[in-house]
Amino acid sequence: MDLEPTLRAIGNQAREAIASAKTLEQLQEIEVRFLGRKGELAGLMKEMASVSAEDRPKMGALANEVKVAIEQLMSTAKTSLAGAAIHERLSQEQEDVTEPGILLPEGHLHLMTQAIREFSEIFERAGFQTVRPPEVDWDWFAFESLNMPKEHPARDDWETFFMKAASSSKEHEGRMLLTPHTTNGTAHLLKEQEPPIRAFSIGKCYRRQIDLTHVPMFHQFDGLYIDKGVNLTHLLGILEYFVKSFFGPERKVRLRPHHFRFTEPSFEVDISTDSRMAKDGWLELGGAGMLHPNVIKAAGLDPEVYSGLAFGWGVERTFMMKEGLKLDDLRTLYKNDLRFLQQF
Amino acid sequence: MNILASYDWLKEYVDLKDIDPQAFASRISLSGPGIERLYPQGKDLDGIVVGQILEVKPHPNADKLRIVTVDIGVKHATIVCGGSNLEEKQWVAVAVIGSKVRWHGEGELIELKPIEIRGEKSEGMICAANEIGLFDAFPHSEKEILNLGTALVGAIHELPLRGGMPLAVLLGISGDTVLDIEITTNRPDALGMVGLAREAATILKQPFLWKASKLPSVKALAAVSVNESAFCSRYIGTRIDGVKIGHSPWWLKRRLLSAGLRPINTVVDITNYIMLELGHPMHAFDTEKLSQNLLVVRSAKQGETMEALDGKTYELEDGMLVIADADRPQAVAGIMGSETSAVTTGTTSIFLEAATFDPVSVRHTARKLNLYSDAQLRFEKGLSVVAPTDAMARAIELVCELCGGTVFGLSDFQVKPYEAPTFSIALAKISELIGVPMEKKECVDTLKRLGFTVKADARMLIATAPWWRDHDIESGRDLVEEIARVYGYANLPAVFPPSLMPKEPVLLLRQEDRVTDLAKQAGCTETYSYSFTSRETQEMAGFDPTSMLAVANPLSGDFEFMRTSLLPSLLQVAMQNQERFRTQNLFELKNVYFPREGQLPEEQPQFGALILGNDVAWKQAKGLAEHILKGLGISQVTWKKLSDDSFWHPGRSAQAMVGDHLVATIGELHPTIAERYQFEGNVALVDMSLPQVFALASDVKRYHPIPVYPSSNRDLALLVDIGISAQDIIAKLREANVLIQSVAWFDTYKGKGVPEGRKSIAFHFEIGASDRTLETADVDTVMEQVIQEAKNRFQAEVRV
Repeated sequence: MDLEPTLRAIGNQAREAIASAKTLEQLQEIEVRFLGRKGELAGLMKEMASVSAEDRPKMGALANEVKVAIEQLMSTAKTSLAGAAIHERLSQEQEDVTEPGILLPEGHLHLMTQAIREFSEIFERAGFQTVRPPEVDWDWFAFESLNMPKEHPARDDWETFFMKAASSSKEHEGRMLLTPHTTNGTAHLLKEQEPPIRAFSIGKCYRRQIDLTHVPMFHQFDGLYIDKGVNLTHLLGILEYFVKSFFGPERKVRLRPHHFRFTEPSFEVDISTDSRMAKDGWLELGGAGMLHPNVIKAAGLDPEVYSGLAFGWGVERTFMMKEGLKLDDLRTLYKNDLRFLQQF
Repeated sequence: MNILASYDWLKEYVDLKDIDPQAFASRISLSGPGIERLYPQGKDLDGIVVGQILEVKPHPNADKLRIVTVDIGVKHATIVCGGSNLEEKQWVAVAVIGSKVRWHGEGELIELKPIEIRGEKSEGMICAANEIGLFDAFPHSEKEILNLGTALVGAIHELPLRGGMPLAVLLGISGDTVLDIEITTNRPDALGMVGLAREAATILKQPFLWKASKLPSVKALAAVSVNESAFCSRYIGTRIDGVKIGHSPWWLKRRLLSAGLRPINTVVDITNYIMLELGHPMHAFDTEKLSQNLLVVRSAKQGETMEALDGKTYELEDGMLVIADADRPQAVAGIMGSETSAVTTGTTSIFLEAATFDPVSVRHTARKLNLYSDAQLRFEKGLSVVAPTDAMARAIELVCELCGGTVFGLSDFQVKPYEAPTFSIALAKISELIGVPMEKKECVDTLKRLGFTVKADARMLIATAPWWRDHDIESGRDLVEEIARVYGYANLPAVFPPSLMPKEPVLLLRQEDRVTDLAKQAGCTETYSYSFTSRETQEMAGFDPTSMLAVANPLSGDFEFMRTSLLPSLLQVAMQNQERFRTQNLFELKNVYFPREGQLPEEQPQFGALILGNDVAWKQAKGLAEHILKGLGISQVTWKKLSDDSFWHPGRSAQAMVGDHLVATIGELHPTIAERYQFEGNVALVDMSLPQVFALASDVKRYHPIPVYPSSNRDLALLVDIGISAQDIIAKLREANVLIQSVAWFDTYKGKGVPEGRKSIAFHFEIGASDRTLETADVDTVMEQVIQEAKNRFQAEVRV
């Protein structure tokens, strides 16, 4: 029996069928019909037994030729139809990419948490151990041991918050109050640790004031370094390190004389700025100085042997001095308006 | 406090030739008082010139207006003017075309243009004092113009008047600069021009030109007695009779105006002038208005009243220091005089006071009365008992010069002889503290120029403080500051100190940071509320503030009770934001304050969170607590239902326990409390006391091998009684066979198809072995055991 015409006919039918296939599914059916286990080619191969022995190799080759040809056509057609399908999908999936993105669940740290972390990290790199001073404390740590005598105005009832509580059983410790500065941290460190101490007290403090630039609860930090041989040039060194780390390497520091009870000499620290708001190109950063001998004495140390440096200023104020924040009412920080909190 | 200081005036006491105000400010700020701003003077008077009236003619179309011809140097200007006191030959201030004036002293500055007034041309304006900012200097009645001839009596001889001369030049203010200077509280001496000049002379190494006046010797006494010497350590009273009081000469007014003070009359101006010049406040009484013409320094009697110079009547308390006559207080000492005995132009005999009052007493009295003054600001800083001598000498000199009169009597009370404080410091210590070697000669020289008396040997430096620094110099260390600041901090190198052995970070702060980060990762927004809260904030949340630590002197009821929980504050925040934010995830991590008998309160860090959402808010709160506990390495947590607390929803609240330790409370807010906040939605909270939690936290990271052979997953739904908890079922079924790797809840269903009192609860099971892939039959066996266990333990039925 001559299978050749049948083989060629199958080849042609397959070619036509593949050419007319519109989808990958149709192609799949065509593949089953011609190349499948029970397909037309396979069926024909069963007839091979009826072919004469001499013609059989020729027919076998021809059958293989037809099969390979169909497979090639099939593969080409698959590629092309798959491409068309993707093309079709892509043409459906044209979006307006200027629409806003979908937010993943997002949390926010309060600006002050961010500020406290940034300041702590800077000073920790310089070897300062970060500590948090008590917020409720005895007068001794907030005032008396810091060379602020009984009649000092800060100790008046209209400056500092006092607690409705009994005074300390240790008479010298005095009344219970909300610390008006983190310098009480310095007093505790001096009492509890042995020099050398290099530490950084940061935390909450409280004063009886509220307006654009003051809130009754705010944050401060106080740096302390006490050892033998600590001098003014070290204070300058540390301040310069901080200012360059926090505000930028191009900034400069200068000290101006000032007056604080717990330091002598005392300074106001200025940083250079190109801001037009600043007088004279300098902005006031905060106070600093060399620990007052009375403060060292109050801690039971000998001011002839030890000297120390100290600096301390408001976290809010210092953080807001970094250009760009532009927060003009300090009270906003503690109103907890989510429209504010979620900006950061 | 800040003062305004005229640079011209300062030049009277220190040689400042060749130093301009800008350079002065830059240099002085680095070693002395901080100079914050410079105000060049005379700019307001640009285009205002002196003119002489040549002719005054009536205006043809207006009765009240005149047509005036004025010689203004470059021309004779024609000006229409309504001044009621216009006269020929009068010297006036003329605003020429292009200059700026303030119409009738009100509103914005207006630039003058040539105009016609009722048909007559007018080239400029003849000014009233208030139109060019000089009303305080030269007050006159409303309809008048400023008559320079009479206004400048006493100054005119200094400069011949000439038409066209700029008014600022005539007044001597062009070229002056007023400096705004911050003086620290320890340096009241520098509040005076003389003290400021002394600083400048020292820092700039320029000659100091001031000489003190001499107190005349007067035999007769003035009638003054001091009963309260504890609060008044010095009192000089001088009575001067036969004085004529009027307007001060321009040179004196000008000094007061430059400092922002308003001239009143000669005597009052002199006392103010001396306060500005020497930094020592004075007061003058009208002798004839004093009952029995005497003064006594005494404590006020409870309930005594006095009408002060500010026009208000004050009720005084026992203990407040007053200067009284025989009947009543005539001044609150160091703060303000009374209206009754004020010196006026009709006064002919005055009682001058130069005294030293106790700074604390002055401060307390001012605070109690809410009465403040320039004098009080100075006294409360602490002034020397020596200071009144110079002040009184200067006052007598000026009164006699400007008002005539003769000194009738002078009394000088001083509680004890003055002793100047003396301190010493080792020269080596000075260099050691500053950090660079300091020359002995330079140290001595600096102190001497500042007014110290200095002795020095090879080792020590001994210095006696000048009287004007006797409150401020308290130890040898203060001498170092004087030397260092004059040397100049800018001349010191910045040296980073040698490093120390590092210390461990404080664990608590680290752990708090971890929790804060975990909460942020979970999508929560951090809030910062005040540590002190109002009674309402506490009570609204069902908390009782009475047992809380309270502020004795709160700013207001809003800041009174030291909170013992973060939750009431969080509820307030959520309430305030709920208009705009229908769902909220908030947290706060801060100290709360538990009172302790006889001790400082325990400041305990807590974590609180609030979720405003729907029915599953409590589950989100629980999820947040689980996330945080897991993040801290706390895994062995069991949850107990919390159904007996009035704050928490009895069906949707739970406590997380590790052994016996409570590590978190979560749940929905009890509906009766939620109602008060009018929440639209369900509010759930997390409450964690962190010391408990941190004690159980672990940093250990343990590796669990990843299975080599694939595991099989099976789901199983069980019908059980409603009261049986998922936690119990998981714990038991997990142990049914060792091949069970995990059991996870995925659904609970109650309702249709489930019998009353029962629930359908479904779990995912992961089953596998570490040494082989399980056959289906193995897994089936495991699940049969699970089901058997469920039946035995929980009377469960398998739900198909």
